[in-house]
Amino acid sequence: MKSLISLLCATLASAASLSITILPSMHLSNPASLPPSTHAVLTGAPGVRYDTPIRRDNSFKFPDIAGEASYLLTIHSRDHFFPPLRVDVTKAADGTYAETISAWQTFRGNEWSNKGSPYGTANNGVLAIQIQAASQKEFYQTRGGFDILGFLKSPMILMGLVSVVFIFGLPYIMDNMDPDTKQEFEEMQKKSPLTGSQGAANQMQNFDIASWLAGKK
Amino acid sequence: MLLPLLTAATLLLRPSLAVFADEAWSVDYHFALLGEPRESTTFFHQPNPALKASLIYTLSEEGALGAVNPRDGSLVWRQPLQENSYSHNASFLRTGEGRDVVVSGIGNEIASWSADNGRLVWNVRTEGELRDVEILELSNGKETAGAKDAVALSAGPRPAVRRIDGATGAVKWEHMLDGSDEPYQVSASSTHIYAILLHKTMLGYLKLRVVSLDPVTGTKMDEYTLSSENELATADTIVSVGANSASPIIAWTDAAHSTLKVNVIGTKSIASFNIEKHGEETVERVRLHAPYHVNSLSHFLVHYETATSHWAEVYHIDAKNGKVAKAYSLPKLPGKGAFSTSTSDANVYFTRITRDELSTLSSASHGVLGRWPIGPLGVAGGVGEVIEPVHAVSEVSVKGDAVSAIRTVFLLSTGDWVLLRGGNAIWNRPEMLASTIAATFAAPAKIEALAEQLQAEAHSNPVSAYAHRLTRHLSELQRLPAFLVTLPQTLVKGLLGTSEDDVASDSFGFHQIITCATRSGRVLALDAGKPDRVLWNRQVADLKPDQSWQPRLSSPKPGVVTISSNAATGIQYNITDGEQIITTLPEDVEADAAAPRAVQYTMTNGALEAKVDSNTAWHFAPAQGEYIHSLIPRPVNDPVASIGKVLGDRRVLYKYLDPNLALLVTVKNSSSIASFYVLNTVSGAIIHTNTHTGIDITAPIASIVSENWFAYTFTVEAADDSPKGNHLVMGELFESLVPNDRGPLTGKSNYSSLETGTEPFTLTHTYQIPETISKLSVTRTRQGITSRQLLAVLPDSHALVGIPYPMLDPRRPVARDPTKEEQMEGLVRYSPVLDFDPKWYLSHQREVVGIKDVVTNPALIESTSLVFAYGLDVFGTKLSPSFSFDILGKDFNKLQMLATVAALAVLTFVVAPLVTRKQVDQRWKFM
Repeated sequence: MKSLISLLCATLASAASLSITILPSMHLSNPASLPPSTHAVLTGAPGVRYDTPIRRDNSFKFPDIAGEASYLLTIHSRDHFFPPLRVDVTKAADGTYAETISAWQTFRGNEWSNKGSPYGTANNGVLAIQIQAASQKEFYQTRGGFDILGFLKSPMILMGLVSVVFIFGLPYIMDNMDPDTKQEFEEMQKKSPLTGSQGAANQMQNFDIASWLAGKK
Repeated sequence: MLLPLLTAATLLLRPSLAVFADEAWSVDYHFALLGEPRESTTFFHQPNPALKASLIYTLSEEGALGAVNPRDGSLVWRQPLQENSYSHNASFLRTGEGRDVVVSGIGNEIASWSADNGRLVWNVRTEGELRDVEILELSNGKETAGAKDAVALSAGPRPAVRRIDGATGAVKWEHMLDGSDEPYQVSASSTHIYAILLHKTMLGYLKLRVVSLDPVTGTKMDEYTLSSENELATADTIVSVGANSASPIIAWTDAAHSTLKVNVIGTKSIASFNIEKHGEETVERVRLHAPYHVNSLSHFLVHYETATSHWAEVYHIDAKNGKVAKAYSLPKLPGKGAFSTSTSDANVYFTRITRDELSTLSSASHGVLGRWPIGPLGVAGGVGEVIEPVHAVSEVSVKGDAVSAIRTVFLLSTGDWVLLRGGNAIWNRPEMLASTIAATFAAPAKIEALAEQLQAEAHSNPVSAYAHRLTRHLSELQRLPAFLVTLPQTLVKGLLGTSEDDVASDSFGFHQIITCATRSGRVLALDAGKPDRVLWNRQVADLKPDQSWQPRLSSPKPGVVTISSNAATGIQYNITDGEQIITTLPEDVEADAAAPRAVQYTMTNGALEAKVDSNTAWHFAPAQGEYIHSLIPRPVNDPVASIGKVLGDRRVLYKYLDPNLALLVTVKNSSSIASFYVLNTVSGAIIHTNTHTGIDITAPIASIVSENWFAYTFTVEAADDSPKGNHLVMGELFESLVPNDRGPLTGKSNYSSLETGTEPFTLTHTYQIPETISKLSVTRTRQGITSRQLLAVLPDSHALVGIPYPMLDPRRPVARDPTKEEQMEGLVRYSPVLDFDPKWYLSHQREVVGIKDVVTNPALIESTSLVFAYGLDVFGTKLSPSFSFDILGKDFNKLQMLATVAALAVLTFVVAPLVTRKQVDQRWKFM
């Protein structure tokens, strides 16, 4: 059947044909779910543009691409992005009617000669390639709503809560301690390097900035 | 003091980048339209023969093919077959009974579409323009399993009849039609295919030539010419050529509509019937309604129309001898009427729709099977307008001798498409909006009244201002009791977020009235805040079928819209009810005389010419071989809050703000070159120019000027250094590129662009964009404080995107990372590719098809701009490019706020006794 079509193409007109099938992928598990507005556009030389809607079998068909040229193939869909492709139609070297048609990935913002991975090449003018959706379109921004758990988890709030516990909780614990332990605790506090009378914190607090500036030791 | 100011400034500068999930679908509105349906291409059909549910299919005047769910009027699928072009081209839509495809024909393309999801099955291009498409219903029983084949008749230099395989779209055979006769229609009976051609006689009359073909091989079986004598002067008086019936007919009348001639195709005899005159009026239109099934009875109905009344006659065809005989007639009724034909097995039913009643009859006898008064349609018309039915299709189910259910979908003279179940309107689709060609926003009178009064107080002396204010407050006091009564209700509604604010109580200016002018000469109004229904809809221009008009809409003052066209100067209409405002003198004659436009420019002979008091001021002629593609001036109402751009280090770059900027595009067809000129329209000076080569001139070139910047887009062919694709160029004009320096304008408060030739400094950046942009627009706010968003119509993605300005800023640093100061300004490193983030899609998941223009208008609050896009679809939304900083948005949770207040109150009550006890204890301790 395929050979028949190519024979037909070769005899009837020197027009290349391209068909693109969408394969299921991670982003698009069921190509049949694509809306009917999905369409493929083949942009050629200025003024040349082919536009075809998606078919029942998840494919696009450009039955007669006239003329040797370099084309940009873009697929537009409501919910998915597809990679742009470069499609080249060139005259066969051996002078037959059939044309060589090849497709590669192309990159926006790069030179046109910068071709990506090849999608296929056909010497008889009839190319069938397969393509997968690149990503899904995320249209909606969810608002950062008020989340009580997230609010409590934030470090500022945690720090605040801890200090609240210290401020209100410690005196209460101190009051409820029996006198022996309390004395022991106070002793310990005095000895500790940070809070004792010779502790760093105390020294810091009692630092006499005026005398230091005056050069007193 | 500076810090909060700075934070406020950065907040303002930071653009809102996205459509929020909770605002999508509720803030925006969208009418997914098809356009006014055509009678011959509208029908009920079951897409899945196994299920009984049917859909309504239509191929509209706008060339859009689609399926509508009869249950709620929602669009199931749609394919715009003829984009952004409207023509009187014939279009065809056919289906076979029990098939899962519909076949369309328009222009020179025949396509088969999956009936349930609108996917393409096959398409075929014919050499010449299509004249007819029919489905072949062969009764030999062999071809019932697969898809049914289609027969197409094409005109052009080599007219032909083709049989197209229903499954693959392959051409099975083609028959070239010889001679110079104009192909007219193709008709298929169960055994023959007939091609009907119009043969022009020496005297200029038309004769009908019928060529019959063998459906299997396509060979010619017979050919004859019907002697239509001198009756047929034009093809317009051919009433109908039937197809797909047991005995297809061809019917025509003479130019005066005095006789009706009917021929059963395949026979040479012509039956002639006199058209009875009912009263004095002449018959203006004759229509024929016949069933469209091979197995149906060969009965048909002829519908006669005069200017004020209509009636009908039913004819039967004797299947054996092909004799046509009149069976019965339906009485004459005033007004216009519509008839629809439905079939059930072999039986044929005719449904008559008049202004106020729906009735169904069997084709066999004149007894009425069912009669329903038509309930309120819920359709807005003009003042005093009688809404008439134009055409209808029905789905009838008959049990015994009575109609058990009837669904009728019909087009009204207002352009609404209404479905009736029995006589009750279930839904209506405002299909006339699909042919909108101009639109504008207008503020309702009431809202602006307060603003005017405040203005009066501000501009008068203190004593009278105080008196004015006192009287205003006293008059407002009278409304207090009524307000107090509704207060609890308003509070509850506001709390639950269910408040339905209307035009009267709109304090934010969201309820502006959008007036749209349609191609058919109607003007209608929508409320932008509550767009679910049309406020009014009236015929403004009386257009003949081939006439067109170029309306211009504007709103000179609140509550009024002015409609002017090339033929007529402005006529003012009241915005709330569409009533024409009758003024003896145009009100703004004096205003016109007081402030003449100093320089007026017009396009003459492909060149621009500007005049000052009839003296030529300047002249712009494009270079040899070029022509002016478009001229976009800066909007008249384009407020700018700040004359400078504040840099990260607090210095200022002064914007070049000139109200007379315009962007002119010229193209050279032969070498695909486009030149872009920024002009000063007063002095004629060219401020900036740029030329691009390799441009696709057939692709849209969109451009815009606003504030001190301009933008344009084009499609470009691959060059050595740039790939094929679409580009967007953004340029910004500055008085000087040195911060804190105004260049030659330093120290000047006034200047004239005629006297001082100040050349601005222009920065441009080019971005590669993923797809074509067909139209650019910009958001507008009241004071111009809010940052702007560039709105772009993407015809390929069927979307409208709002591109935030910082993404396009021509000051984005190239090939280096932004410095700290630039970062503070919000500048990011330039990258040549600008991808449209799906979050910028204002239309999000809605598919907005065929948008031709986008109009924007400020709301009363500074943060918000109203957007309205029209074309085939109508889409509108509210945009806050710098977030809604002056209004509580949806993110503000009123219940949560109340809960916090309540929790605090409870806490206070709980803690209060503890505190008092502690205070009392303390007193006891110290005293």
